[in-house]
Formats: sequence, structure tokens, C-alpha cells
Amino acid sequence: MSLQVLINEQPVDIDAELLKTGVQVEPGVYSILVNGKSFEVRVFPTPQGWTVQVDGVRYAAEVRDPRNSSRRSKAARGAGRQNINAPMPGKVIRVLVHEGATVETGQGLVVVEAMKMQNEMKASRPGRVVEIRVRDGDTVGSGETLVVLE
Amino acid sequence: MFSARGARAKVLVANRGEIAVRIVRALREMDIRSVAVFSDADRGSLHVRLADEAAHLGAAPATESYLNIERILAAAKKHEVDAIHPGYGFLSENALFAEACENAGIIFIGPPKEAIRRLGSKTAARALAKEVNVPVVPGSEEPATHLDHARELARSIGYPVLLKAAAGGGGKGMRRVDKESDLEAAVRDASSEAERAFHNSEVYIEKVIENPRHIEIQIVGDPYGNLVHLGERECSLQRRHQKVIEECPSPLVARNPEMRDSMGEAALRVARAVGYYNLGTVEFLADNEGNFYFLEVNTRLQVEHPVTELVSGLDLVQLQLKIAAGEALPFAQEDIHWNGWAMECRICAEDPENQFFPSPGKIVQLREPSGPGIRLDSGVYPGWTIPLEYDPLLAKLVAWAPDRKAAIHRLLRALREYSITGVDTNVGFFREILKDSRFVEGHLDTNFIADYFARRGAKAAPEPEYERIAAVAVAAHSAREQKAPANGKQESSRWLIGGRNEQLR
Repeated sequence: MSLQVLINEQPVDIDAELLKTGVQVEPGVYSILVNGKSFEVRVFPTPQGWTVQVDGVRYAAEVRDPRNSSRRSKAARGAGRQNINAPMPGKVIRVLVHEGATVETGQGLVVVEAMKMQNEMKASRPGRVVEIRVRDGDTVGSGETLVVLE
Repeated sequence: MFSARGARAKVLVANRGEIAVRIVRALREMDIRSVAVFSDADRGSLHVRLADEAAHLGAAPATESYLNIERILAAAKKHEVDAIHPGYGFLSENALFAEACENAGIIFIGPPKEAIRRLGSKTAARALAKEVNVPVVPGSEEPATHLDHARELARSIGYPVLLKAAAGGGGKGMRRVDKESDLEAAVRDASSEAERAFHNSEVYIEKVIENPRHIEIQIVGDPYGNLVHLGERECSLQRRHQKVIEECPSPLVARNPEMRDSMGEAALRVARAVGYYNLGTVEFLADNEGNFYFLEVNTRLQVEHPVTELVSGLDLVQLQLKIAAGEALPFAQEDIHWNGWAMECRICAEDPENQFFPSPGKIVQLREPSGPGIRLDSGVYPGWTIPLEYDPLLAKLVAWAPDRKAAIHRLLRALREYSITGVDTNVGFFREILKDSRFVEGHLDTNFIADYFARRGAKAAPEPEYERIAAVAVAAHSAREQKAPANGKQESSRWLIGGRNEQLR
């Protein structure tokens, strides 16, 4: 019997034998001994699944049931529209683009201020601005969509 | 101490976070009662938990709480304190606050208000430094009054120039301008940023010193004319003009030992000129030839004071309290000795892989480093929610060792032990920087971090077995959570592993 885990969206197969190498030592903290080597791993929930940290390196993880592995195809999450969301509550200082604009990877879209810091939300890939949902001076909540790219 | 009332002395700490904790610790060691103050966002914060008494100020925004002179003084009167320690930031360099304390019959733990006032304006401080023959970066003595004036000043100084807020600090209202065509926009941005941050839109203009190092001198004095310097700190590792790593001694000064005396003497000349006492820091820019230029004076305790404490063996906060209570400085310049090397990392809730975007939120797990030569000044605990109203500094991790290399190794060891989950932090970033050969060799300047990001290229791939290790932990954990979901947490139905738990155990 095996279980599939997605680590940074890449499948890793786990069997019961491997699962026995880990013990929980603190809530969400696992000590894992593999081939005589000792690792400490931290697991905590995120809205998307789990974040796992090994020796300071972080991985996004999802646990998958093999019976349903085709349920969420990559295409559904990948190309097409992309929402640029506020990573935390803050205030919109400036909207840097207008609807219909073509943007490059790394181009600044919106400047948001939080914790005394101004930060530019940037496009993670090239595209076109199809919708702007905020204006200068708006207060935004965590995860709120600022701009939609296509 | 502060013995006018005969009762046990009591001090209010007008600050929050790690520095409030630091001051509460000093107070307890001196058997002085501590009064914490807090905003709505900080009711459960560590400084409130550790203090003897605590007073609520108001809503989370600093203007309603930590910057509100009236409310802080009301709390001070209600709790009948003898003195107020302002920490750093907030009201620490506000002469009006120092004066208001004095008028209320409460000792302000810091320099005299006249000194704060005179050194608070950067242009006035520069003029003062020049008067006492301390070199300054070539620049305008007066703020630029309008765009044409700015143009004229910039031309006479020569590009590239730096615009700086006259009332500024922390990089706010600061802009580098390489050519005249960029000046207009930069003046506009810098003035409006300065207006927002300091309610003073004045900017002045300075020549840019290329690849400078930031070196500062710690000074301390009493009201009886005793004034000494406690050596330098190098704070060249900065990001957007915010210090990131600080150390004592400076690697540059270690190579040019005469710099400590000459910079120390220069710092003391500025301090003497304004009748300075209590703790202060005189900041300089230095080039690799050993030339140095006066920048400004911080009339308060610095964030990075622990590196000086570890190398000098002095407790600077206790010294502040003793001086404020009227004691004379217990040492002279020749009694000050520097032993070994100390280095500090500012641990912040921010994401280094996303332009250091702040990352407020709840700390889920926390393991703090300890062991030989490690000092951790922290203001957080597991379960604490970092408010988004204040700066993202969580803790200062400081290592002491006999020499710089050993201090770096010690810090790396401690950073490996340090684990904070739930929010992003710069712990991993420090582990990279401290292994960088240019850093290890002490080739520092204020552009180091920007240059580092430009040259580091792709991140080294982590160990391939980590992915499998991570998968094991998450599989075990999700199976466990499935059986006994934590209180208030959403059911993990979406992981759909229900019946398989039995087989997996």
C-alpha cells in the first residue's frame, strides 16, 4: 500500500516502511531517521495544504489519495487567468498599470504598504491586465484579489 | 535609585517588542519595578507578560498608543513611576516628549532635551560637526526650498547625489539621483515620503560616497562632564537603509586600529559641543582608505547595542538607568577594553525570496537557539500573532566568540537551531550570507546585499533526499491530524485519505 504526496507539485511515493522512520517529537515536529541520518522536519497547515520545512528548506505539500489522483489536473490551476492577490492586509499606495495593459514578468502592478514597508506586487509571468479591483488608498485584506492577468 | 519617594523605584517602558523585553530585564536585575504599556494589538505580547505592571494605551495604530505622549504620561502618573525609558524608535528621539516628562516631574531616561533638539535636525547636526572639525559628506547646509534651488545645489555638489529628509531616519525620504533629469521626480517622492513619515517635507542634498561602509561610535556620558566612547560597530549590511547584520569590532577598523581613536575622538567632539550625556551613537560613513564622514547622531539606545555589550562587558541599559538616576560614570576612557568579536542578525518576519515582503501572522512553532556564546533578545513566543501595525523585527540573534571567524561559525550553528514556523523569516537568508566568501573576508559595504542578490544566481539545490524526508513527515502528520483534528481547525476532508490511515500506521 502506498500513498502519494506532492512535494512542490512533484509526486513522491511513500510506503508504510518509510513512514515508520518518523516520530512526532513536538506538535507538528517530526524526527526522522533514514539510513542512520537524523533529520528534523516541521509541518504546518496552510490554506493550500501543508508547508514542510527540512533544515530551513521549505516545501509546499499536498497529500493525495491515489484513487483520486486525476481529480485535480494541472491545467485547472496553471495557465489562463491569474489573480494577483494581496499576501497580507495592507493599504494600496499606487496602482501602476491600467486595464488592457500588456505586462512583462517582474513588472510592478500594485504598491501595497503593510508593516511600515511599501512593496510592489509583480507579475510572475507575461500577460495582459484584464481587471483591476483596487484603487489608490484602498484597504485590502489578506488574499484579496488586486489585479487579474490573462 | 530614583530614591526621592523612598519607595521602591519604578520605571515605565514606553515601547514594545524585543526592546521593551530587554529593558524590563535590566530593570528586574536592578530590582526596579517595571511598567509595560501596550496597544490593543499587544495585550498578549511578551513585554506585557514579563513586566511587573502594565497599562493599556489605546488602539493599535502607533499614534493612538506608542506615539501618544498624553496617554503615556497618563499611564506614568497612574502607576506613579519615577522615570520613563523610551527604548528606540517611537518617542525616543522626540524632544517634546523629553520635555513633557520633565514638566510632569518624571525623569526621561536619555540625553538632555536641548541635545535631542539640536542633533535631531540633520542639517543642524552637520553644521555642528563641521564647527568642531569633524568631516562631513559634502552637501547642502540648508534644505532645498524649491526645485530650482535643489537643481542648483545638486549641480554645485556634483552628481550622483543623495536626497535625504531633514527630519529623517531609517531610509524614509531618501533617494539617490544619478542625473539632473531624474531630480524633479526624486525631489517630489522624497518630500512626500518625508512629509508622511515625519510631518516635515524638507529634504537636503548630499554627495554620494560610492560603496561606503557604515561605522558608528557608541558614546556614553554623565551630567558631570564625563564622556567616553565604547568603540565602534560596523553596520554596513543594510537593505533599503535598514541595518541587517551588525558587528563589533568593525573589520575595517580591525585592519586600521588607529581609526577607533580618531572616530571616537570625533564622536566625542560632537557630543561635547551639545553638552551630551546618557547613551548615544554617532554614525559615520567610511571608505576603504579609512576616511570617514559624519552622518548623524542617534540620541537613544540603538537596536544593535548588544554587540557592544558583549565585547565591552558593559550593560548599556543599566548604565542608562544609573546615569538617569544621577550616578556618575563608573569608568574613564582608559578603563574601556574590547574583548573578542560579536555579531548580530536582525531576525524579521519577512520573505527574503519575495523582496523581503513583511509576513505578519501567528507563530506556530518556535525553537530558539542557545548554547555557548549565544544571546537571543526576542520579543515573541509560540502562539503569538505578530501585529501588522509595527515593524517586523522579532528578535536579535547575537553571537560572541574570540575572533570574527569563530563568531560567524557560532551564528551559523545557532541559525541552524533556530526554527520559526507559521510566518516567513529571514533565518535562511542569514545562513546564506554568513557563508558568502566576501562576507567572511569582511569586504562589506552598504550595497552588499543588493550586490549579493545580483551575483548569487540560482539558489543551490537542497539535498535531494530532503523531498522524501518532507514527504514522510507530511504523510505521517496528515494521517495523525485526520484521526484527531486539532480544536477549531478545519476537517482535512480534502486530503481524502480516510480509511487508509489504518493501513498506514
